Amino acid sequence: MSVMTLQESRPAGERYRAEFDARWSASDALVELRRAALERFVAAGFPTQRQEDWKYTNLRRLEARTFAPATSTAVALDALEQHWIANAGIRIVLVNGHWMPALSSVGAQLPGMTLLTLKQWSEHEPAAVAAFIAQTSRAQPSALEDLNLAFFEDGVVLDLTAGASPDQPIYIVHQWSDAAAQLMSSPRVVVRAAANSRCTVIEHFIGSTASECFTNAVAEIEVGTGAKVEHYRIQQESTRAFHIGHVNVRVQQDGRYASHDIALGASLARLNLGTVLQGPGAHVDLHGLLAPLATQHLDSHTTIDHAAAHTSSDENYRGIAGERGRGIFNGKVIVRPDAQKTDARQSSRNLLLAPGAEIDTKPELEIYANDVKCSHGATTGQLDGTALFYLRSRGLDETAARALLIRAFAESVVSSVGPPAVRSHLEKLLDERYGKSS
Amino acid sequence: MSMLKIDNLHVRAGDKQVLHGVSLEVGAGEVHAIMGPNGSGKSTLVQVLAGREGYDVTAGSVSYQGRDLLALPPEARAREGVFLAFQYPVEIPGVNNVYLLKAGLNALRQHRGLPELDAFEFLSLVREKMKLMHMDESFLNRGVNEGFSGGEKKRNEILQMSVLEPALALLDETDSGLDIDALRVVANGVNSLRRQDRAIVMVTHYQRLLDYIEPDRVHVLSGGRILKSGDKSLALELEKRGYDWVKQEAAAA
Repeated sequence: MSVMTLQESRPAGERYRAEFDARWSASDALVELRRAALERFVAAGFPTQRQEDWKYTNLRRLEARTFAPATSTAVALDALEQHWIANAGIRIVLVNGHWMPALSSVGAQLPGMTLLTLKQWSEHEPAAVAAFIAQTSRAQPSALEDLNLAFFEDGVVLDLTAGASPDQPIYIVHQWSDAAAQLMSSPRVVVRAAANSRCTVIEHFIGSTASECFTNAVAEIEVGTGAKVEHYRIQQESTRAFHIGHVNVRVQQDGRYASHDIALGASLARLNLGTVLQGPGAHVDLHGLLAPLATQHLDSHTTIDHAAAHTSSDENYRGIAGERGRGIFNGKVIVRPDAQKTDARQSSRNLLLAPGAEIDTKPELEIYANDVKCSHGATTGQLDGTALFYLRSRGLDETAARALLIRAFAESVVSSVGPPAVRSHLEKLLDERYGKSS
Repeated sequence: MSMLKIDNLHVRAGDKQVLHGVSLEVGAGEVHAIMGPNGSGKSTLVQVLAGREGYDVTAGSVSYQGRDLLALPPEARAREGVFLAFQYPVEIPGVNNVYLLKAGLNALRQHRGLPELDAFEFLSLVREKMKLMHMDESFLNRGVNEGFSGGEKKRNEILQMSVLEPALALLDETDSGLDIDALRVVANGVNSLRRQDRAIVMVTHYQRLLDYIEPDRVHVLSGGRILKSGDKSLALELEKRGYDWVKQEAAAA
């Protein structure tokens, strides 16, 4: 065991405060905002399993370790490039949470679209950034969102003007450098899609470092009236990583948001995906695939808040747990008193590939309106022995037959993936994970 | 030449003995029908031949083209030319019908040292076979048996059979759940596959199928034993008189 992983006796809050004090001493508006967030985090501490939302996910391992905020490091292109999705779109690469212009697409600005880095902006206009962050953050951030707010240094701000429709996806790579160890990365992504604009944002979390790292990533997404945002979140961190994600989405009238939550990596991962449908006609589609293997613990908690009438949501999560992997899906749907004519559908289907694997799935419906349609269904099962025999009786060997059935189980999520480059990347990952089906 | 030789086969499913010593020999080019009341062990017999797990062979042997069939996993049996048309074909959403056909055929070809068919060769082969089964091409891109009617599922089984061209075809109640038109189509499909180097074993409950597919031999399986064998006239007699007389005759013997 290296010295870095020795557990300290000081409480986690004190340790993060020490990291904070070593890092920020100025007293501009942004540092004040950070400090307030830090103090809230210290007061609240890491969530514990006593909190209903964290019942299935124990963060003691994360809490016990000290992670230093990652600084910007120079890295060689070829070490990183092999892990990217080729031709996925306009590429922005953040290494250890810091934007690397040299690795990113050149001349990335398209009509109606502004992309900027939070770091450059905050170096020049900390007060403006503080105001922007305050305005684009959730009113009551969770403790770990506060931790991000205290320590974020960089990230991406994507603004789309009314009616803008960039012809390529925005591909954001969140990558750990190979040498990263005991580091914390706190990236923030802010997407503001003005009325009737549309865009596809692909967030790709990758790392091949053999050491422990901690990603604590926030995305704030505003979907304007009639706008449409497709959001991919492909989490492929290294198997010793901790990954906490927070995605907060607000959808205005007739806006559409679609999420594709693909969780394959990390030792422990938790995504809090919250959407609020704020205007009539707003719609969200949440697609998810949780695929823990070995001893991975992958947890997605989603909330769909129908805050206006005539809103609709469709949620489809698939869990595939192998070996001693554990998956958790919690799908909360809130229908506010005024949100009549809400149409909410939720489906959680899960597949256990081994006796030691486990998936906990829980729908959570809070319905305060009376004229609504809400449906939910959850199933957990094993590979169908009859289907396996059927395929083998047609000449497919057992490995191929199993792989084919697993792929078939994931198909409804895979087929929701639009961009061909992302889809073939996902198919390749699934083939690597479960064996080739052909 | 003997295609299939079953000798004194005893099979147990869980703690229930289902087959109590079945012996049967099927030659190349022959069509055999196995008839019998519900629960007689007909389906168990063909499932054991195809390699379904969950059955224990407690005694006896099965030789297929001179080889020990029971020693092979199901996929090896398929590659060696054994095909089971399921009584209840499985729905597999998310796997394309055409994908399964192609994967199956290529697995067989690879096993026999033949090159894989390219997409063009494969599609023209499948289209030709589909015409025979009166199947629309839209079936190709649907999930395997997904949302198919009972008749469509059975036609799909025979389509697979005609693509995989087995040496030994086992048809498990292929006639059940078919209306008369679908029965004709399925029977025509099976008849078109009758060849000198191919054997067909049909399990059926009713004589009706045998009006369309004429068997060389008919066997009555009851209580896990073959009680009587004969030519196609036996089937007509069974239709007229039921199974009880065969049981009584066997008990008296």
